[in-house]
Amino acid sequence: MAYSEKVVDHFNNPRNMGSFKKEEDGVGTGIVGAPECGDVMKLQIKVQNDTIVDAKFKTFGCGSAIASSSLATEWLKGKTVEEAGKIKNTDIVQELNLPPVKIHCSVLAEDAIKAALADYQKKADSK
Amino acid sequence: MSGHTHNADDRRELQMARSMCWHCQSEMAGEYFCDRCVKVQPVSKDLDYFTCFGLPRRLAIDTQVLESKFYELSRAFHPDFYQNKSDAEQSISLGNSAMLNTAYRTLRDPIQRAEYLLDLEAGSVKDIRTSPPADLFEEILELQETLDEFRESDRSSEHASTLRAKLHTDRTNLEERQRDMEAKLQQLFSRWDALQDRGEATEQARAERTLILKDMRDILSNRTYVKNIVNDLVATIA
Repeated sequence: MAYSEKVVDHFNNPRNMGSFKKEEDGVGTGIVGAPECGDVMKLQIKVQNDTIVDAKFKTFGCGSAIASSSLATEWLKGKTVEEAGKIKNTDIVQELNLPPVKIHCSVLAEDAIKAALADYQKKADSK
Repeated sequence: MSGHTHNADDRRELQMARSMCWHCQSEMAGEYFCDRCVKVQPVSKDLDYFTCFGLPRRLAIDTQVLESKFYELSRAFHPDFYQNKSDAEQSISLGNSAMLNTAYRTLRDPIQRAEYLLDLEAGSVKDIRTSPPADLFEEILELQETLDEFRESDRSSEHASTLRAKLHTDRTNLEERQRDMEAKLQQLFSRWDALQDRGEATEQARAERTLILKDMRDILSNRTYVKNIVNDLVATIA
């Protein structure tokens, strides 16, 4: 099975790789894993005035998982918190042309977005 | 058919229920060959791998029994013996052989066997998935960062040898935990089998079933995460 050109591009030139300090104001962190393959993904958002101004990821897993999270961070930037919650794994599958056996990578990315948003919300509510 | 519950025994009965021979339409009782016209029958897609081999849904299985049953059925379904038969029979022989190979590969390996059992039972046990192991994720991310640092370091530097020593210790600890998980899994397998053997349908037995399945799911997932990081460690510091 060959990776699509877009996957290879994200894999070779990952966008927004890195991390923020978890405790930092407005930062939401989502860490998720796929028990089937053992991939672990960390995705963080930085929110100001309800808008995601920056996003970063670190993924330890296969090319598709890395590409999915890299793409997710690209999409997240500039979106409001509400819009971000609407990103679906099927959007990622379509954009990256993922084959059926790699769909769980896109699910992982959606889960990571949800977890990061939930973490941000929790932090915001507790203030 | 009556019996709409998701009980394993009910399902087994269902598989063995009477069906009809595709060729002579005579009633059959779940065998692979029709009594009347001796035609091969397609293995039902709903048939689970345990039933396919005539084994109980236990986690400790006699691999010799499994193997001999596999050889027996392989011979019975082998496409070579159907070359002069009708298209329908050839296609059944192919389908059955493929299914049989997958079933054998799955049941032969204890871990795959347990994963398969969890899949089977997922329907009868609500929410077999448990919460993700947050602590383990944190630990893995931290380790991966140290690994990255080591990969980028000048191998002859003192910093690199400090990192290497740390990674060695981490590896030893993780391997210890792997052994621990294997032992716990074995215990869960035995508990599951004992429960199956008792065959009780009480509320208490059901609760224990669920608990065992959840614990198994947890350990099997964690085992995969740990295996990945150990592989990375070994590949980097070896």
